[in-house]
Amino acid sequence: MSESRLTISARGDAGNVYDKKVIRRRRAALAVLLCLSLILLTAYFGESPSGLLHGVQRGAQQVLSPIEAGASTALKPFRDLFNWVGDAFNAKGENKKLKQQLAATRARLAAAETALRENQQLRAMVGLPRQPGFPQGTNPVTARVIARSPTDWYSSIAIDKGSDDGIRTDQPVVTGDGLVGKVASTTSSTAQVTLITDASSAVSAQIMPDGSSGILRPAVGDPNDLQLDYIQKGRQIKAGQVVITSGFSSGSLQSIFPRGIPIGRVRSASPNEIETYQRVHVQAFADFRRMDYVQVLTARQPGVQAASVGVGP
Amino acid sequence: MTLTGGTLLRTGLLVLLGVVLQVSGLSQLQILGSAPDLTPLIVGAVALWAGSIPGAVTGFSVGLLLDLALGQNVGSSSLVLSAVGYGVGRYGELRDPAHGLIAIPVGAAATLGYLVAFAAVSFMLETAPSISGLVVRDAIVTTLLNAIIAVPVFGLIRRVLRPVLLAHPAGRRRRAETRETGPIGLRGLEV
Repeated sequence: MSESRLTISARGDAGNVYDKKVIRRRRAALAVLLCLSLILLTAYFGESPSGLLHGVQRGAQQVLSPIEAGASTALKPFRDLFNWVGDAFNAKGENKKLKQQLAATRARLAAAETALRENQQLRAMVGLPRQPGFPQGTNPVTARVIARSPTDWYSSIAIDKGSDDGIRTDQPVVTGDGLVGKVASTTSSTAQVTLITDASSAVSAQIMPDGSSGILRPAVGDPNDLQLDYIQKGRQIKAGQVVITSGFSSGSLQSIFPRGIPIGRVRSASPNEIETYQRVHVQAFADFRRMDYVQVLTARQPGVQAASVGVGP
Repeated sequence: MTLTGGTLLRTGLLVLLGVVLQVSGLSQLQILGSAPDLTPLIVGAVALWAGSIPGAVTGFSVGLLLDLALGQNVGSSSLVLSAVGYGVGRYGELRDPAHGLIAIPVGAAATLGYLVAFAAVSFMLETAPSISGLVVRDAIVTTLLNAIIAVPVFGLIRRVLRPVLLAHPAGRRRRAETRETGPIGLRGLEV
C-alpha cells in the first residue's frame, strides 16, 4: 500500500498515520494498557483473598448484581425461546433415550426397594447406626443463578443470595440432580460459586457400591467429563455405577462436602498398563449449563473444622 | 474520536450494557452447544470505527469489567482484549476498509484471536489437569455465531458512536462524481 494513500486516509483523528508523534503516542498507549494489565494480574495473584483487588472485585460484584439480576430476568424469555428451538432439534433422539432410561430406572427401582428392605433388616441385625444417603440437617438455602462465566476456563456462576442469607465461603452447592460446586466468595447479597467443572476444583469422591475412593477433577471444556483419579488398578469399575461425595474425615478435619451427595455416574474406566492407578470418567448428574436455581447447604455438624481438598488460585 | 464527556458516556454505556448483556443473557444461550460472545465484537467495532487507541482502551475496560463481574483473574481479559482492540484498530487505520460486510471477517478474526489468546493466557495461569477437545469446538462455534451477528452489532455500535466520530465510515465510501447536465437536461451538452 502506498504511503500517499495512507496519508490521505479519511480517518479524521489519525491524520498522517506515519507521523512520528502519532506512532509514538499510539505505541505508548498500548504499552501502558498492557503493562497495567500485567501489573493487575501479578498483583491479583500475589495478594491474599482479603487484599485490595479482591475487595474491589467484591465491590464491583455487589454494584453489578442488581443490574445482572434485572437483565437476567428481562432476558429469560429470549433465552428460553432460543433454548427451546435447540431442544426441539434434539427432542426426538432425547425422547428415545429417556424412554430407555425410564425402563432401566423402573427395573432398578424395583431392585433398589428390595435391597433397601434387606439393607434395613441387616442394619438392624448388626446394630449399625442408620446413615441416610443424603446428609441431613444441612439447612439448604435456595438461590437463583444471575450470571455465569462465558468461557470454558472459569466455570463459575453468581447467585442472588449472599452472607446476609447465611451463605459462607466453601459451603457446598447442589441442584436437584446432585453436587455442582462450592461457594468461592460472598458479598452481602450475592455469592460466587466455583463449579466442580472448574480447573481449580477437586472433590473427594467414592464409587458406589464398590467403595473405591479417589479425587474427582474436571476435563476443562467438557462439563460432561469428570475424571476420578487414584482408583486402584485392580478394582473392577463398571459403567453406570453411581459416584457420591466421600466426605472424608481425619481427626478434627473433614471434607467441605458432606458424605452422600450424588455427583454422577461412571461412564468408562481406562486402566493404564504403566500406572498404578486407573482413571475413571464420570458423567455428572447436574446439567451445568442449564441451572436456573441452586441450593447452598449452609449448615454442617457442629464442632468439626472443614478442610477443602480443592486447589484454589 | 475526540475525548469529550459525550464520548466517555457513550463508550462507557456501551461497555457496561455489553458486558451485562453477555454475562446475564447471551452466556446462557445454547446454540449448537455453545454461545455467542458479544465482548470481542464490541471491542472490534469500536476499534474499527474509532481507531487503535480507543479500541485498546475499550478492550481494556471491557476486559476489566468482565474480570471484576465474574470473579476471574483480574487483568487476564484486559490483557487480551487490549491487544485485540489495538490490532483491529491498526487494521482499520492501515486498510481503511469501507465494504458493507467488513464486519463479518473483522468480527470473526477478533473473536478467534480473543478466544485463542485467552486460552493461552488461561493455560499459562491455571493448573488444568487435562483439556477437552470441546474447547476447540466451542471456539469454532462461537466464532461462527459471532460472524453471523457481527453485521448488526457493528452497525448498531457505529450508529451509537457516529456523533462522536470525527469522520464516520459511511462518509468514506467512494461515490461517483455527479456530472452536470446541459441546458436541455442531457449530459455532455454543457454550455
